[in-house]
Amino acid sequence: MRVAIAEDGVLLREGLSRLLGEAGCEVVAQCGDADELLVKVRSYPIDVAIVDIRLPPTHSDEGLRAALEIRAQHPSVGVLVLSQYVELGLAMKLLADSAEGVGYLLKDRISDVKDFVSSVRRVADGGSALDPIIVSTLVSRQRDDDPLANLTPREHDVLVLMAEGGSNQGIAEKLVITTRAVEKYVSTIFAKLGLPSTGTESRRVLAVLAFLRA
Amino acid sequence: MATAATAQALTTGAEGAAPTSKVVEAIAAAGLAAAGISFTLALRGDISGQLGEPLVVAMLSVLLTLSYVLCGLLAWWRRPANRFGPLMILAGFTNFVATLVWAKHDVPFTVGQAIDFVPPVLFLHVFLAYPDGRVKGGFTRALLAAAYATAISLELVRMYYGGFGTHNLLEHGANPGATQAVQKVQLTLISAFCVVGLGVLVVRRLRHGRPLRRSPSLLVDVFGVGLVMLVLLFLSAAYGGPWVPQIRWATFVTLTLAPTVFLIGLLHERLARSALSDLVVDLRGDLTPSDLREALARALRDPSLDLAYWLPQFDTYADVDGRPVDLVELGAGRATTLIDRKGVRVAALLHDQSLGDEPEMLGAATAAAGMALENARLQAELRARLEELRGSRARVIAAGQKERQRLERNLHDGAQQRLIALSLELNMLEQRLEAEPEAQVRLDQARREIALSLAELRDVAHGLHPAVLSGHGLEVALQSMVARAPVPIRLLVDVHGRLEEPLEVAAYYVVSESIANIGKHAHASSATVDVRRSEGQIVVEIVDDGVGGADTERGTGLRGLADRVEALGGRLRVWTPAGGGTRVKAELPCA
Repeated sequence: MRVAIAEDGVLLREGLSRLLGEAGCEVVAQCGDADELLVKVRSYPIDVAIVDIRLPPTHSDEGLRAALEIRAQHPSVGVLVLSQYVELGLAMKLLADSAEGVGYLLKDRISDVKDFVSSVRRVADGGSALDPIIVSTLVSRQRDDDPLANLTPREHDVLVLMAEGGSNQGIAEKLVITTRAVEKYVSTIFAKLGLPSTGTESRRVLAVLAFLRA
Repeated sequence: MATAATAQALTTGAEGAAPTSKVVEAIAAAGLAAAGISFTLALRGDISGQLGEPLVVAMLSVLLTLSYVLCGLLAWWRRPANRFGPLMILAGFTNFVATLVWAKHDVPFTVGQAIDFVPPVLFLHVFLAYPDGRVKGGFTRALLAAAYATAISLELVRMYYGGFGTHNLLEHGANPGATQAVQKVQLTLISAFCVVGLGVLVVRRLRHGRPLRRSPSLLVDVFGVGLVMLVLLFLSAAYGGPWVPQIRWATFVTLTLAPTVFLIGLLHERLARSALSDLVVDLRGDLTPSDLREALARALRDPSLDLAYWLPQFDTYADVDGRPVDLVELGAGRATTLIDRKGVRVAALLHDQSLGDEPEMLGAATAAAGMALENARLQAELRARLEELRGSRARVIAAGQKERQRLERNLHDGAQQRLIALSLELNMLEQRLEAEPEAQVRLDQARREIALSLAELRDVAHGLHPAVLSGHGLEVALQSMVARAPVPIRLLVDVHGRLEEPLEVAAYYVVSESIANIGKHAHASSATVDVRRSEGQIVVEIVDDGVGGADTERGTGLRGLADRVEALGGRLRVWTPAGGGTRVKAELPCA
């Protein structure tokens, strides 16, 4: 797996590079700003770009713009956006059209190396990774009449993991159940929420998010 | 020349003083007597061939004299400060003296003949001196002096050469050829002076002309045709031209009517003075500064009139809202009159240049408005101070905001990053210590501690300044806030892109504080947040369906919000009827 990193903090950039290297990834580019990243993405075959949302020169939205540009220009390249704050509005921008090959995580998640590397792989493979904070914000949102109230606690857990972008297998491992059981939960949840079933896991993410936002 | 000097002396002496009724009666009687004398002389004299029947000539000369004397008298009586009335009276009597040529006695004849050409020059003088009786400008004065000198001196030369009959006391040997030559020069020169005088009038009108502001001046302008008549008459007489009798008729009629027109013009000034008394009545009421401007504009008949108040502390003039006004950058056709009160500068009047022709009106109006002007000046000063205060409050808030942003940035680039890197390091260490589960557990615990610290730091940083706001704008920043709100909230944002940062920050905190209040006090089941751009404003409105009756005085939340909003020149209002929900509305001016 070939990874490009854009992060202006040297400490984090080096740390990321080292952890990915140790996890068997090939870090082909370490960039300090968004322009450099875009050049590298254009020049090398890259599976996933990890982008800090706050990059020089203004430290405002350079990272987000670079991420959106890569998503538009290089659909085969996965984009994982890292930030020290996660915002629903930004998640919606990133996942506006599809949840394929995109991730948006709090920087803190880096320190859980196993989880983080699996998120990176998922995004590189065209899956999605959405920060639990975003999902919990959506799930716990106040609604006039809450359709989630009909879900069992287990179904609730599966819904959250699904929304975070987890694959059936990933969810099964996390909850220590079989993939078949996960599949069953998923179809029950979809039926209870009145959602049409959607095929791929990333489409599923979008459907669930759209439902949670509504 | 002697006549001109007399005119000066007379008008100077009359300045400022209204004629007593005795003086008026005496002058009127003298005028009537003079007219009677002219009339008698004309009837008895040998003057046919000049204008026709002696009776007609007599009537015209009487009318001319009376017209100037009586109109002049009326003008003097009504406008004592104006020299124009006395000047007209003088013109009337001079005309009478000139009619003495019809007398069949040596002395009256000689005097009358000597000033035969003075009346036309006096008519020129009257036209040039309208409306205040003063001859302005060195050139115009020189022109009149030359005209008077020409009229009298060349007449004396002509009389010296003779040809005027037996009553001429100045004749020394008849030389009709010389007399005719001199007369030609005399007529030509006086015509030339009249043409130049007309030119002066035209230039003056073009430069100062605002016929709309003073409509009778149009009528006065029309009577400038009288001067043209004079020129035609003299040139025809000198070089022989057609229709001499007709021109002579027209000239006399025009010149006879002119004083009436001048009087109408001056009476219009009189109307202005009644506008002035309206002003005095207006001033008795409780005038707002903008009403004061209106009242002055009405009294001075200049709709474009404006006021600038002198603010000594700021060393500048300012409008009534305290905004600085630059008196140097006046447009064309504009003029300034400074208004002092008890020796202290109060204000400046910015007005149409033509108002400068009526310094008395200006002086009277501003004197009448003195107290109101001083009040308005104080108000302008107050507004300027408020504006200054608002500016400094905005600067204080902006400085605070900047400092908080700097701190947030430092946290982000420093502590937060280090903690994440540290946590990462611990995790990698943890993975290497597979053989020592106890150490792993303790490392994991340490990582959890760090995760908690990071979460706390994130809250602190967000509390200092919501970085998402500067990075991604109001709409994105409000989406998370609304999603985490204690009640379902409908969010509508329509501001067309990014706003200036102070605006975004203020709007953000208005929504944030309102949502917090909804959670704490409102017992609402839903709310709406609406942020929109409309008519140069950003309107932020938060409406809930809760119990209302919120205490807007207690608690610093709303007060702090109002400070933020007002510092940007905006307004924060809260409606919170008991049982009727709460509505918070902030209006922020926006370019």
